[in-house]
Amino acid sequence: MASVKLTDVKKIYENKVTAVHDFNLEIADKEFVVFVGPSGCGKSTTLRMIAGLEDISDGTVEIDGVVVNDLQPKDRDIAMVFQNYALYPHMTVYDNIAFSLRLQKMPEDQVYEKVTNAAEILGITEYLTRKPRALSGGQRQRVAIGRAMVRNAKVFLMDEPLSNLDAKLRNQMRAEIILLRQKLDTTFVYVTHDQTEAMTLGDRIVIMRDGIIEQVGTPTEVFEMPRNIFVAEFIGAPKMNMIETELVRKGDQYFVMPFGTPIGVTGEKREELLKKNVQSCNIVLGVRPEHMVLADDSDDAIPCKLEVNEMMGSELHLHVYTEDETRLIVRIPTINLSMDQRKSLVFGKELKVTFESKVMHFFDKETQKNLIYGD
Amino acid sequence: MSEKNITNPMKRHMGLKTSRAIGNTAIYALLICISIIWLVPFVCIVLQSFRVELKGPVGYVLPKQWGLDNYKALFQTDFPRWYANTFIAALVTAVLQTIIVLCMSYTLSRFRFKMRKPLMRFMLILGMFPGMLTMIILYRVLKDLGMTQANAVPGLILVYIASSGMGYYVSKGFFDTIPKSLDEAARVDGATRFQVLKKIILPLSKPIVIYTILTAFMGPWGDYVFAQYISFGTSAGMNVAVGMYRWLNKDQIAASYTMFCAGGVLVAIPVTVLFMCLQKYYVEGVTGGAVKG
Amino acid sequence: MKTYSDLEYLKLSKGKKFLYKISRFFCSIPQKILGLFVALWNLIKKGCSKVKEEAVDIFSTFVNGDWKTKVSFLVMGFGNIARGQILRGLLFLLFEVVFIGYMVLAGGYWLSMLPSLGKVGPSEEYDFVLDAYYTVYNDNSFKILLYGVLTIFFIIAFIYTWRVNVRQNKLAEQILAKGKKLKSGKDDLRSLVDDQFHKTLMALPLTGILIFTVLPIVFMILVAFTNYDGAHDGYYSNLFGWVGLDNFNTMLNWNVNSGGSVQSYAATFGEVLSWTLMWAFFATFTNYFLGMFVAMAINKKGINLKKLWRTVLVLTIAIPQFISLLYVSKMFAKNGIINGFLMSMGWITEALPFWEDPTWARITVIITNVWIGIPYLMLITTGILMNIPQDLYESARIDGANPWQQYTKITLPYMLFVTGPYLLTSFTGNMNNFNVIYLLTGGAPTNPAASSAAGTVGYTDLLITWLFKITQGAESQYYLASVVGILVFVVVALISLVVYNVLPSIKNEEDFQ
Repeated sequence: MASVKLTDVKKIYENKVTAVHDFNLEIADKEFVVFVGPSGCGKSTTLRMIAGLEDISDGTVEIDGVVVNDLQPKDRDIAMVFQNYALYPHMTVYDNIAFSLRLQKMPEDQVYEKVTNAAEILGITEYLTRKPRALSGGQRQRVAIGRAMVRNAKVFLMDEPLSNLDAKLRNQMRAEIILLRQKLDTTFVYVTHDQTEAMTLGDRIVIMRDGIIEQVGTPTEVFEMPRNIFVAEFIGAPKMNMIETELVRKGDQYFVMPFGTPIGVTGEKREELLKKNVQSCNIVLGVRPEHMVLADDSDDAIPCKLEVNEMMGSELHLHVYTEDETRLIVRIPTINLSMDQRKSLVFGKELKVTFESKVMHFFDKETQKNLIYGD
Repeated sequence: MSEKNITNPMKRHMGLKTSRAIGNTAIYALLICISIIWLVPFVCIVLQSFRVELKGPVGYVLPKQWGLDNYKALFQTDFPRWYANTFIAALVTAVLQTIIVLCMSYTLSRFRFKMRKPLMRFMLILGMFPGMLTMIILYRVLKDLGMTQANAVPGLILVYIASSGMGYYVSKGFFDTIPKSLDEAARVDGATRFQVLKKIILPLSKPIVIYTILTAFMGPWGDYVFAQYISFGTSAGMNVAVGMYRWLNKDQIAASYTMFCAGGVLVAIPVTVLFMCLQKYYVEGVTGGAVKG
Repeated sequence: MKTYSDLEYLKLSKGKKFLYKISRFFCSIPQKILGLFVALWNLIKKGCSKVKEEAVDIFSTFVNGDWKTKVSFLVMGFGNIARGQILRGLLFLLFEVVFIGYMVLAGGYWLSMLPSLGKVGPSEEYDFVLDAYYTVYNDNSFKILLYGVLTIFFIIAFIYTWRVNVRQNKLAEQILAKGKKLKSGKDDLRSLVDDQFHKTLMALPLTGILIFTVLPIVFMILVAFTNYDGAHDGYYSNLFGWVGLDNFNTMLNWNVNSGGSVQSYAATFGEVLSWTLMWAFFATFTNYFLGMFVAMAINKKGINLKKLWRTVLVLTIAIPQFISLLYVSKMFAKNGIINGFLMSMGWITEALPFWEDPTWARITVIITNVWIGIPYLMLITTGILMNIPQDLYESARIDGANPWQQYTKITLPYMLFVTGPYLLTSFTGNMNNFNVIYLLTGGAPTNPAASSAAGTVGYTDLLITWLFKITQGAESQYYLASVVGILVFVVVALISLVVYNVLPSIKNEEDFQ
């Protein structure tokens, strides 16, 4: 049980490629932090630096207030779950879980107690005598978690633990990790490229790109107040619609002009813009698909044509394109539409979409930063 | 073959079947021929080792008079001594060389240190020098140390194992196929690098360990040139290859050709048995090594 | 030379593509050579700047260091001991003491004799007590050269260690300045089975390589510049001296000294070299293709007893080569089984000159090598053939490819890609395939035109067997053997360099991991 602190951590590989730039982060005791980002963003590298599997080129990593830069992984008191599980193929499940305990020279009866206890929690008791090769993916994953669990380590590291599982199992394991976390009550650092996992698991999410932290925040923060276009597009599925347009200020009034259709900015967003004293400028307007609505023939709606209609069951994903060929996605709960309406949604159908100002995100076109939450 | 018959599915089917049967018959014939060609010399050696009537090379295969005379004759010569020399050298070499090769290949596969690549390149370049060249000086040095001629065995062992670190290629290729995350998991679990090697890597490397032992054993078992150098004409220090080579000299062949065959059979039997038992591992090592290159 | 863009290239016909590639390759040669020189130049520049960097660093360490560091420049390990790293310090100190002791007692002598390789030969001295003559060996060139080289190695090692010693002082100062603790001797020992485990593992192998490969090779390279031979090595004389490039001149000399039927040294060398290359080429590729063929035959669907066929072939790998090769060599002899069989069948009336005629001998050697090599290649290719994804063949069959097309368009390219590096090592290995040649023919039949050359050069002699022969007998012209050895190295290195640059699969070692 411990805090983790990274100060100006850098990773420069031998070929002079910088994988992680000045990484600063403080992880509180018992916090669940998720590193998320596209592949190659340095999230795994950072995790491996915490684990001691990669050298730290610069900066310091502290665990529980102790600088661990020069400590071997075994001396850092961490537990880790690997993407491909990394189970020792020549050992039974029992031996796999017991491996670290035996290295600590723990008496066998205690080992037995701990291993069976962990197996109980994870529901793998009946497989204890099997070799990993005789297990399914989900079972292997449990063994890997069990192996990390028994150590009672200060920090629990997980490197894309669910990415080798199929979609159904992944959802199930995700729920189990949440339960596990409640049971273990320790500090977690979790790496994933899947934003859903990040949103559902993390107390805080660290969104990374090209070795740089783009935003750190709670799931709500990163979803509702993305600092820049990258974060806005990365979090949420389907991804946020981005419309290049202008923000026009007339006195205390703001308008956006998506596809020439002026839409007034009102309420909270207007207050915020005013507070920041934002002037007229070119912006990228972000609107999440679920915040778009089909409009009747009103003037301040955007005309477009339907291209693809994806029926997802409880909702429809409408891929539409506007006059200037911008592609947008509109997400509508199926229940909001009558059968006739749904049937009429075929290729080429002309539609009008609109959205309220409270769902708008304003990004500077040049700096890509959120005009309101950008700093 | 049968594309033309596409209109008649039935006929096409028959065509495929018969053409495959013809092809397979041809292949069987070929394989039988190959087997005969490959086995004939060995059958001949065995048959001739039992020949009693003439001791020189002859133009026929089946002995006219059978007997164990040649085998008995072997024990009147230094052959037992040579056999013992070869066996000791091969056995010790097999053990030590395996240890050295595994150390080297594990290191080069798992550790990333500054000198790794230059070291590998350097060894590659070293390997381009004909190894025989070094024999001249090694012979002189070993002679000064008293490890030649009658005492050739320790000298031979030294020569065999000394540079075996350069033969890391095949086993490094094998180690490379063991996921690195296993090492990492073990290290996080609290193992030192040494424990990782002992508890994780070695148990997983049985095929390559056996392959290395096997090749390390077979090298000295059949070596001629180094043994020839170091024994330098002293019978007591020879191995079987050097000793038996002389039996086929112009002046000796007429009297000892069949004895050579008998000796050959005795030399071949243990390795062949060993090899047949461990064939699986050998094949794995050979294939892996070539693919990894 | 017109250069095509990628898309234009795709439009060319097969023949044109081939011509284009060939011409591109030759056009790129000057550039590549230039690139080599540039790389070399950069290397030298890098080396120089590195040396400069080191010098500056050493200097600044001395100027900025405390007194402990300064003393360490003279007394190695002093800084370590003074700062509490007793174990390290003592090791440094011990090394320094040993080094100085060695240099004073022996190293100095060897080093000073190195330029002359010794002046006083063996002499007979009279022992008054025993009333007998005995031999005093005095200077011994062989030992001087050997220990001279060893001493130089030792000096280099000392300089390196001294440098490490200086650097450690600097690092220790930095660590202490940050308020951190230095590693204790116990930590050092522990790290030898952990983060420094590679040093422990490699200590023994590398020492072996250094003493038994690097040292001898350096020695033998130097021998090529001396007149060391059987006559300068033994009872009457153990002195030899430097002769510069004379031996290379001898070896590569086109002049014929005596008579018309004898060819020059260089011609002999050229002949042996060309046969060596020819042999390596045929030995490698006959084995490769025939081995692949046999492997494909065994692995074909519907063939039973796969294991049996394989085992029959593998048997030949198990049996020591000296038995099988010597035996086969006798089988092909004039009075051997093969001639005997052919004659008894009445197919020939006179024994075939398998080993007596140069061309017959060369062909027989290559064929016998196929017999030796196929099982091995069969094993290798079997493994790789099984790795080729079956769906490639299925897709090709659907696209309408016949078996031959499947072979040339899928199997062969895949095999060549995967086994490229193996083919290269196999080629160079065959160039130095001593066993097969020496045990089969011993180089025979003798080439009468090459009688002026050292050793008895035969038509099937490879450079390596020739080298061996040169070192045998009373003459033992070691200096010429060294020259041959160096030239072998040059040829092998050149071939490897070219092939390495062409092969696609060799560049990315880590790609497979």
